[in-house]
Amino acid sequence: MVTSKKLPRVPESLLKKRKEYQAQKAKQAQAAILSKKKNREKRKLIFKRAEQYVKEYRMKERDGIRLARQARTHNNYYVPDEPTLAFVIRIRGINQVSPKVRKVLQLLRLRQIHNGVFIKLNKATLQMLRIAEPYIAWGYPNLKTVRELVYKRGHGRVNKSRIPITDNNIIENTLGKHGIICVEDLIHEIFTVGPHFRAAAAFLWPFKLSSPRGGFLKVTNHYVEGGDCGNREDKINNLVRQMN
Amino acid sequence: ACARPLVSVYSDKGAASGNTITLPAVFKAPIRPDIVNFVHTNISKNHRQPYAVNRFAGEQTSAESWGTGRAVARIPRGVVVPIARDKQRSVNMCRGGRMYAPTKTWRRWHRRCNINQRRFAVCSALAASALPALVMSKGKCHKIDQTPEIPLVVEDKVQQFKKTKEAVVLLKKLKAWDDIKKVMKSRRIRAGKGKLRNRRHTMKRGPCVIYDQDEGITKAFRNIPGITLISVDRLNLLKIAPGGHVGRFLIWTESALKRLDAIYGTWKKPSSEKTGYNLPMPKMTCTDLSKILQSSEVKSALRAPKGIARSSQKKNPLKNIRAMLKLNPAAASAKRSAILTQQRRIKEKAEKRAK
Repeated sequence: MVTSKKLPRVPESLLKKRKEYQAQKAKQAQAAILSKKKNREKRKLIFKRAEQYVKEYRMKERDGIRLARQARTHNNYYVPDEPTLAFVIRIRGINQVSPKVRKVLQLLRLRQIHNGVFIKLNKATLQMLRIAEPYIAWGYPNLKTVRELVYKRGHGRVNKSRIPITDNNIIENTLGKHGIICVEDLIHEIFTVGPHFRAAAAFLWPFKLSSPRGGFLKVTNHYVEGGDCGNREDKINNLVRQMN
Repeated sequence: ACARPLVSVYSDKGAASGNTITLPAVFKAPIRPDIVNFVHTNISKNHRQPYAVNRFAGEQTSAESWGTGRAVARIPRGVVVPIARDKQRSVNMCRGGRMYAPTKTWRRWHRRCNINQRRFAVCSALAASALPALVMSKGKCHKIDQTPEIPLVVEDKVQQFKKTKEAVVLLKKLKAWDDIKKVMKSRRIRAGKGKLRNRRHTMKRGPCVIYDQDEGITKAFRNIPGITLISVDRLNLLKIAPGGHVGRFLIWTESALKRLDAIYGTWKKPSSEKTGYNLPMPKMTCTDLSKILQSSEVKSALRAPKGIARSSQKKNPLKNIRAMLKLNPAAASAKRSAILTQQRRIKEKAEKRAK
């Protein structure tokens, strides 16, 4: 006679739970492997792009210099392109702002003093900057300015919240459909005012800068008068170094 | 609306007599402490005796104001002897004067309550008394740890007890005496003016004995502190949910318990003693919340839990290399090549100078 040992009775609910748990674990493990593979591919891609951009920036710079030198040797003049990128900082406060200026500043997303945004320059935006001139200091940022701003004070607009850019996924989730998947892509898009500049700039929450180390000269005057407001072309880079 | 278990009947010796009764459906009624509280606050106002102040108090004077022009306040003053003190109407602020808004006997002392609400409350209170957890809970804290069963049902012989001694023995055998002991220990002097008004002592409530026929049971039990006696015909919310709180310890006699199905009906048949009355329907058929939440039907409809995103401090990539590498994997090689070119240039310059 065969005597079978009776297994201890386990309640059915417990067995069900265990089975579900195992299934979930298996699925998670699989998903982890897949995502790891994808991430590795992504990293490679980002690396390549970053290197490519370095080359591109250097080429652009040397191109400008080369063309200028070329022109000079032929007793000619090289007129570089008018700048297309501006960095605009609001340098005056909230109170007693006239309505037109107030509206322009709102449209430029400069709602707070020392807020900074990247603006594409064209006839329309130039006229806006002219209207708001006494309230803003702006100019043409160089690569170092753009990089430092995005790395140090870059926050993205994710789901209407201001989220710090601590991971490339944050950028990819919002701007992935434009081909911008990492910080370097973002910087490239901004600096070279690419086809998706609008999306990239809108993704960036207005930069909240500190007060300038060393102070302003005279906020109520234009830069050309020895003050601070208005277009200061390349000197904006110095100002941003002091404010970043 | 659940399965109704069998309740054992206990003999006067405290042992199960072998008889069992199906639990009357009232004990499965929905427990609505809010309704019980509402009904209790209303009904407890109904045995109030009116009080009022004498309607002439403070007005039996002929005091009159002196009016203006005499360098004194315009308050009514006594006529015969002109003391400022003798005051009349409008003068609750004066000594010996009439109070503000003298209390009247025609204040609305009693409150009516809808009959269905009253019945609902009683059903709820009875249902709560069948749950040991509620009866033992902090608010009620009846000492029922040792009692054989809740609801506690005793043979009909108990209704014929004549001597308090017998009643005490019964309670001791049923292990209900602990509750009585708790009551006796809780005897204390009342806080407040009641102690000067012939209500000097208060104590807790003990078990409530519910009988069908009074063949002496009231006389036997009534002197035991804490015990309340009620007849099934006249179940009183004020007695089975004292203070408006459900869960009093009830001791039933067998015939009293048997009457409950007739008085309140079951969900299958209406009450035979109350015209057109049916037991209240519960709002939820299954009240076990944890069971519902963990059921497979609910679980399969939920999405997987999202990890809670906690924001950590943002590290500056320009200073923190790891943060930089997370964002830009090419940063390391860029930095390395920059260092190398710098070293190379230094070397070249040195060589040039050496030439």
